[in-house]
Amino acid sequence: MKENLSYIIKRLLYLIPVILGVCFIVFFLFNLVSGDPATNYLGPHAKPETINELRELWGLNQPWYLQYFDIVKSAFTLDFGKSRSSNQVIMELISKRALPSLMISFPAFFISTVLSILLAMVTAHYRGKGIDYVVRIVCIAMMSISSLTYILFFQWYFGFELDWFYIDGFEADLGFFSNLPYIILPVIIWVILSIGPDVRFFRTIILDEIYQDYVRTARAKGLSETKVLLKHVLANSMIPILTYTIIQLPFLLLGSLLLEQFFSIPGLGDLMITAINESDFPVIKAMTILSAMAYLVFTIIQDIMYVLVDPRVKLK
Amino acid sequence: MKHINKVSTTWLSLLFLSLLFNTSCKKKENLNSKILHQVISSKLSGLDPISASDVTASTQVAKVYDCLYQYHYLKRPYEIEPCLADSMPLVSDSGKTYQITIKKGVLFQDNKCFPTGKGRELKAADVRYSILRLADPKLHARGWWTLQGQIKGLDEWREINSSKESSNYDTTIEGIEVIDDYKIRISLNHAYPQFINILAMSYTSIVPKEAVEYYKDDFLNNPVGTGPYTTTRYEQGNKIVFIKNPNYRTEYYPNTGEESDKKTGTLASAGKKLPLIDTIVVKIQTKAQPAWLSFVKGKYDAYGIPKDNFNMVVNMDKSLKERYKEKEFDLKITPAFHTSYFAFNHDDTLFGKNVHLRRAMSLAFDRAEFAKKFTNNRYVPSRSICPPGLMDDDTSSYIYTKLDIELAKKELKLAGYENGKGLPVLFLDIVADKEVEKIGEFFRLCMQKIGITIEMRTNTWPKLIEKVNNKQTQMFAMAWKGDYPDAQTFLQLLYGPNESPGCNSSNYKNSYYDSLFEKASRMQVSPEREALYKEMNAISANEVPLILSVHGTSYTLNHAWLLNYKSHAFSYGMEKYLDIDLDKKKAVFDKL
Repeated sequence: MKENLSYIIKRLLYLIPVILGVCFIVFFLFNLVSGDPATNYLGPHAKPETINELRELWGLNQPWYLQYFDIVKSAFTLDFGKSRSSNQVIMELISKRALPSLMISFPAFFISTVLSILLAMVTAHYRGKGIDYVVRIVCIAMMSISSLTYILFFQWYFGFELDWFYIDGFEADLGFFSNLPYIILPVIIWVILSIGPDVRFFRTIILDEIYQDYVRTARAKGLSETKVLLKHVLANSMIPILTYTIIQLPFLLLGSLLLEQFFSIPGLGDLMITAINESDFPVIKAMTILSAMAYLVFTIIQDIMYVLVDPRVKLK
Repeated sequence: MKHINKVSTTWLSLLFLSLLFNTSCKKKENLNSKILHQVISSKLSGLDPISASDVTASTQVAKVYDCLYQYHYLKRPYEIEPCLADSMPLVSDSGKTYQITIKKGVLFQDNKCFPTGKGRELKAADVRYSILRLADPKLHARGWWTLQGQIKGLDEWREINSSKESSNYDTTIEGIEVIDDYKIRISLNHAYPQFINILAMSYTSIVPKEAVEYYKDDFLNNPVGTGPYTTTRYEQGNKIVFIKNPNYRTEYYPNTGEESDKKTGTLASAGKKLPLIDTIVVKIQTKAQPAWLSFVKGKYDAYGIPKDNFNMVVNMDKSLKERYKEKEFDLKITPAFHTSYFAFNHDDTLFGKNVHLRRAMSLAFDRAEFAKKFTNNRYVPSRSICPPGLMDDDTSSYIYTKLDIELAKKELKLAGYENGKGLPVLFLDIVADKEVEKIGEFFRLCMQKIGITIEMRTNTWPKLIEKVNNKQTQMFAMAWKGDYPDAQTFLQLLYGPNESPGCNSSNYKNSYYDSLFEKASRMQVSPEREALYKEMNAISANEVPLILSVHGTSYTLNHAWLLNYKSHAFSYGMEKYLDIDLDKKKAVFDKL
């Protein structure tokens, strides 16, 4: 227990240099690679003195180390200031936009993970048989088509031609159930997009387990195939499955950039794209730093989950 | 029994699923209320007039705010008429002084920013306040350029306040004099005939001081004006709901317009009290396909035809395809006062002094093919820098905007680079976007035909602007949308003192052209000014400071139930004239 705790503290301390590094990359990219945000904000008519006044206000005329320090400070205090384009407090903006993202990403993630595990177990069980081939071919075919094609086709065919689903109409102020009609199609697309690689990955993991001696023993004891698969094979496949799924969780918050744009869902993905288009550097900075932090925190959670799933694992 | 249970469970599950599907997937459309459904394709950064720098923002701002002047909805060519002003301004003989009388009894919308919650009457002091706000150095208004250097004492006021903690709005400004509650006099540094157009732009909308002070930094999300609508719901990046402003002044639908308005029915509402529609729901959808599909299904009332759908909707002769006619769609085609071009940086010695090289490149550029390939022939090949409709100029004699490879080769020889020999690789800076990259590639192939090698350099939009402003490009692709219906808005692109980072981003300098521009800039609308404009147009056609590409045209489709819709190049605040025929909507909606 003590060992585990000191490991977690150590990992948390590692966050500091990583955040400093992320801040540096963000600073470097947006100061050297991108254009002047003040010029972009004021447009083609603005005179140099007007641009310079705004640069002064935004601290862009300060020495580079002070600007870098500013980013580091905001990362550690989680105070990213206000959006340059909408003038809203960035942390409020992010928390408001996180919910719409989760409304599509969480159900989609849950459904696709459960469905993929089930399909992987079926294909692993019937390895080399017809159903295995069919599922694998379908998975590869699904993976070969770009996400944009799915979105455009599903919107046109199911939303427009068949008129089964809404293709826009999501309203951030309404709750999950009121928005249900507007999230069904993006969720279906998300599931279809993730099910191909997920099934193939989980199938490989389950196949690794299914030929182990303990599985043969369980079968010899006369346990039903369902029990063998669910109780023994699945339980022992949990560590790689957890590794794969938990690390995806921080990205759920970001939603899907394309899905949010095409279905007009005002989530974090949409916020990020808008911020990039408008050179809203404080928002881009906040989103990048928070994503990196979330990724690191979830890797720690992942380690903790290993211990919970398999008591033999010790964190060192 | 077991079998029956299994079957009934299956049926029950199917029934439940179908019920869930039917109730959750599609809601019934509300066809009983006069609601205008609009969709916009770009995000809004708020509804503060002083920063409404694009068409989308200006259109939304104009629903809530009014300017002193506005464009007549039906008349063409575009004509300015009073809005909050009681009449057209009294302009002094020198053209430097504007005395404006504002309407009496105009109320701001009810809002908690006012002590009683009731909107107070608009006064001349509000006009003064709104002008100062546009100039306030602390606010960094995107629209400051419209007044910069124009009003006496305003630039000085801005300069003084830029070093202060906060701007002092009580200071006397020589050029802005509030005569009484309903009269204001504005004195300009020099005659500026386009000033009246500026007073019709959203930047100069009138805002109440109370709202600005009450909402402070959040004013942009809490608009309070005198306009026909007021916001009830404003979700940034998603949706805005506007409802009729109960305090709206008495204004009637125009009785006059073009001859064609009688035929199209756009004069049918003449004399009716505005606004005609109770509610406007504006949805933000940045992607064209879902917006288009929803529009065709009747979820939105009007929409500009996306490029990818154009050939499915419009015939070669610019008429609507039968399928859309049957569903009673209506097509509106209007010049958009837009010019796209490839600019030379005239500070680059290669281009600045070599008119033959510029002419050769312009002659080698195939505008007709460009219009066909990239705009489905929606846009028209440019013959001069000013789009059609701005002045009555015969451009048929302008030879350098025609495709003529032989002449291009001759010009290239005169430039000293026969068949491109000795000419280094030329760099074209463009924005990193698949469509623009295709345009760049098309340009490259055109130039290849006369032996010129072009290399493309892609940039983010801010980076491209920065490079252009710092004169770090050799050539770049750009477009310009006119701010008002006056050729000056395009001719200024070649005025020397406007060089980068100003709007003359090609840094073209011609002292004779500049003298003509300065002379015309001080003149009111007149045949003499028109002659100067034509001369400038001819100079630019001969000197080829830019390789002109195409002029934009707007193709908008609307449903049959949307009444009074007339496409307008400066359609700010035009929703007040629109109406909805609910019976028609009920009849047509199911056919969609």
